[in-house]
Amino acid sequence: MIRVKSPQDLGAGLVFIAIGAAGIFFGRDLTYGSAARMGPGYFPTILSYVIIAIGLVIALRGFSLEGPSIERIPLRPISLVVISILAFGFLIEVIGLALTTIVLTFIASAARKEVSWKETAILSVILAAMCVVVFVYGLSQPMPAWWGR
Amino acid sequence: MDAFSNLATGFAAAASFQNLGFALVGCLLGTLIGVLPGIGPIPTIAMLLPITFGLDPLSSLIMLAGIYYGAQYGGSTTSILVNMPGEASSVVTCMDGYQMARQGRAGAALAVAALGSFFAGCVGTVFIAAFGPPLASLAQQFNSPDYFSLMLLGLLMAVVLAHGSVVKAIGMVVVGLLFGLVGTDVNSGAVRYTFGVSELWDGIDFLPMVIGMFGIVEIIKNLEEKELDRTAISTKFRDLWPSLKDFKDAWKPVIRGTGVGAILGILPGGGAVLASFAAYTVEKKIAKDPSRFGRGAIEGVAGPESANNAAAQTSFIPLLTLGLPSNPIMALMMGAMMIQGIQPGAAVMTSRPDLFWGMVASMWIGNLMLVVINLPMIGMWVKLLSIPYRYLFPAILMFCVIGVYGTNANSTMMVMTAAFAIFGYIMVRFGCEPAPMVLGFLLGPLMEENLRRSLVLSRGDPMIFIQRPISLTLLICAVLVLLMIVLPNVRKSREIAFQEGA
Repeated sequence: MIRVKSPQDLGAGLVFIAIGAAGIFFGRDLTYGSAARMGPGYFPTILSYVIIAIGLVIALRGFSLEGPSIERIPLRPISLVVISILAFGFLIEVIGLALTTIVLTFIASAARKEVSWKETAILSVILAAMCVVVFVYGLSQPMPAWWGR
Repeated sequence: MDAFSNLATGFAAAASFQNLGFALVGCLLGTLIGVLPGIGPIPTIAMLLPITFGLDPLSSLIMLAGIYYGAQYGGSTTSILVNMPGEASSVVTCMDGYQMARQGRAGAALAVAALGSFFAGCVGTVFIAAFGPPLASLAQQFNSPDYFSLMLLGLLMAVVLAHGSVVKAIGMVVVGLLFGLVGTDVNSGAVRYTFGVSELWDGIDFLPMVIGMFGIVEIIKNLEEKELDRTAISTKFRDLWPSLKDFKDAWKPVIRGTGVGAILGILPGGGAVLASFAAYTVEKKIAKDPSRFGRGAIEGVAGPESANNAAAQTSFIPLLTLGLPSNPIMALMMGAMMIQGIQPGAAVMTSRPDLFWGMVASMWIGNLMLVVINLPMIGMWVKLLSIPYRYLFPAILMFCVIGVYGTNANSTMMVMTAAFAIFGYIMVRFGCEPAPMVLGFLLGPLMEENLRRSLVLSRGDPMIFIQRPISLTLLICAVLVLLMIVLPNVRKSREIAFQEGA
């Protein structure tokens, strides 16, 4: 029976194969050209095939060599951190940096297991003040400090 | 042109009031972030990149170089005082540095690390001044086929000498090359892989990529780990002076470490990490009593710390003369230069001598500042060390997102940052380091352009790569490097070299 010996390798290999396949699929309309007259699709296509080949090697290795298993991924940190990045993009022009910082601090703090909300509230206010002073007034970054610019 | 008058030009440019200020701010910021737990030089530089964009090119590079040295310096401080390497190149410093600290010799360890680094920094600066111009004039004879082969060799060596799985690293490099091609093709005007997103027409932005893959991934990784007890061994400035015996024991390792580091730094793929490991191994090999290592041998601090600083300096040589980033940190530097509108390479030295020599001079100044300013501030850095991560990471996260948004006020940038964070995180989980991808990303368009020009020259005949002597030599080296990976005993010794720290 075929057994996955190194799940990390298999996973990485599959991701590479997927990227290579996507490279070929989405690059199919680009002119390939010839060696002497390389079209825009020439180099990407070659690279995509190389990526697939490497992906195959790594994936097959996953069946032959023992390797570390994939640790269970704790979903809480990654999802909350990603949500806070996206939230920044949507909130900043609407409610300004000060309030966005407070919202983000709360979302991000929730990424940890034991959260003290009181502590977070104090931290968020301090951070908001710092960010507004340093980035908006100090470094004049292109973002509003408050809502309704 | 002699190196001396060149250096004088450089010092004149770097010692302006404004540039000294930026070097100082860079060193302080770098140390500040570098001592914070769990943030190595790569995320530090990625995070601080945006604040240098508004400056003129020389000032911004000076500041970035300062950030780099500062971050490294901060990393060795945390290794010695808390036994937590902020970065891979300080892993070896932990072994003996922390032991020294536990024996009450933290001050001596810190001082030797700082003074050794300063000495290495001086030598490194001279190295760049001496080797830069000849290499640059060699590079000017390079033609497209030679450049293509050079980049191939550089990328290969970068993955072989970096740690982790070689095949996976090569995979990441090629993925990076492909990502680098996203956007408008300069030659035909065709848009590639943009999926109708107009923000991608100019290619994938550098900043969302590096901040997502390094800064954010680092935060997520740290959040998953239990908060460790970080009691720093308290140190005051007056305890810093090492004894005469320490000096006697340390000066030879410092010189050896500097030599090892300076040479390894020039090699593509070399750099601070490899240099510090190699220097530690050298010291252990030639020591009369190797059993002292790991129990607070001052040589085990002096050698690697000098080596990593020397290498940090000399790794600028391939970037500034050949336009080849030899490690991820140099890739970040290259990205910063390109954002400033400078294509790194031999041309910089002739077209912008003030920039090249100014940067070289600023490296020396930065190293001096680290010793003069940071040693007395050691008490403050120790205090910073004890800030719990739960207060830090929201601030770091804010810094990352504001940095990305500040350079391009567009919510698409945030989506890209998030996407790269997820991608980088998944790859890390599968055992693939994101760093090689950045090297590929930067070289992708250059490789394509040189390949195209070469094949136009030869009318499509790939033999052109082995007909030109320079290109042939480089390709032979590349084949040798590949063979090295395949040969079992080289592979074994490479693994051992990187496991020395584990």
